[in-house]
Amino acid sequence: MHKIGLVFNGVWSHYAFATAPKYADIYRLIYIHELTDETVDGLEALVVPFQSNQTELGRRRSVIYNLLAHGKKVFAEGDSTADWLDAVWEDRPVNNYWWVTDPHNPPVSETDFDHPVYNGLSKRHSCWHTHGAYVSIPDQAAVIQRKPDGDIITWETRQYGGVLMATTLDPIVEHGVQQITHLDHYVDSLTHWLCGIRPEGRFEVPKERYGIRV
Amino acid sequence: MIRAAVISNGLGGLHYYFQSNDRVDYRWLEITSDFNPDLEGFDLLVVPNGCDHIALYRIRDKIRSFLDAGKTLFCFDGWFTAWVPGNQWYMDNTRKTIDIRYFKGTDRYDLFSGVDIRSLNFSHGISGWWACGYIDPAPGADVVMFDTWNRPMIVLDETTTNGLLLLTASGPLADVTGQTTDDESSEQDLARFYSNLLELAEKKRQYA
Repeated sequence: MHKIGLVFNGVWSHYAFATAPKYADIYRLIYIHELTDETVDGLEALVVPFQSNQTELGRRRSVIYNLLAHGKKVFAEGDSTADWLDAVWEDRPVNNYWWVTDPHNPPVSETDFDHPVYNGLSKRHSCWHTHGAYVSIPDQAAVIQRKPDGDIITWETRQYGGVLMATTLDPIVEHGVQQITHLDHYVDSLTHWLCGIRPEGRFEVPKERYGIRV
Repeated sequence: MIRAAVISNGLGGLHYYFQSNDRVDYRWLEITSDFNPDLEGFDLLVVPNGCDHIALYRIRDKIRSFLDAGKTLFCFDGWFTAWVPGNQWYMDNTRKTIDIRYFKGTDRYDLFSGVDIRSLNFSHGISGWWACGYIDPAPGADVVMFDTWNRPMIVLDETTTNGLLLLTASGPLADVTGQTTDDESSEQDLARFYSNLLELAEKKRQYA
């Protein structure tokens, strides 16, 4: 029984992630154009990955807030718009080479390691690169991660009923892309926080899934 | 002037990368639940990085007809569904970008003119261009660029249809600089390569 819905924008990394054996029994792809109260019914949580359809999320924001009103969890990664989050996201240059050029200064300088998603993670596992930053967040939200310049990377609020967490990290998409090799730590911690199940083993995409016929 | 249709699946900031100029008139085709665009009147169909391959699969017959009419397709994303005629991308990421080097293959249209391929290999000490997986090309298609393990990274196919297909193994290209890196040399070389693709698309338009 799937516990978490993954909003699916037809992007290959979303598909690779949610259909991999490690996560396939936990996450269910929900095509963005089929995101309704009915298709999320029974789920414990909803994940909105990076490279999502921002226009369509704005049109369907009620599905997200209805889920939160029922005490569920929502995790949003990457960018967003004020059409569906009461927050202001701004673009920033992506520094994905800091670990080569300046390895002692990662893009995130402050992390609340008491938060369940981050508890037990090393600094290296809690930040790889960021996609933009939040310059305004909901009035009752707490900051979980910041950049050295004060920009907000990760925040959380319970003001909508359940728990809404947003970050400009992109753990789901990057895990699906399979180039950052330490993401099992973050994603497994996130999955456990979202639904109570901690996946085990290493994320792999079987060769028979490299290309599909729909 | 090239009349180009760009597929949009609502990614933030996407419009920045394809802005009309004196060579191309870009029009946006927004994917909706009943996506069924009219491709008539366009010379070029652009599928940017991060696109919706469920929606594209659903209009695969329309895309095939577009190509059979002698038009051009640019696909800069990993098509994990089988909507591209004759060619298939495979999301095999067992090879790490840190180990990948790119090499010129068959380049009959001089697409690498003025392009330093070393900029695609390195930027800030990491990979300069982020292709993923590889392409299984159609019989007779040109492998314009391949990688360390001879895997096709860029394919030019003029044999499967009457049109022209220019496909990357999910490597992003766009009509601006800086889409994958803020390294100046990489920006210039990626932009120059895309510009050379447009030149080819314009020739195709004129002789279609």
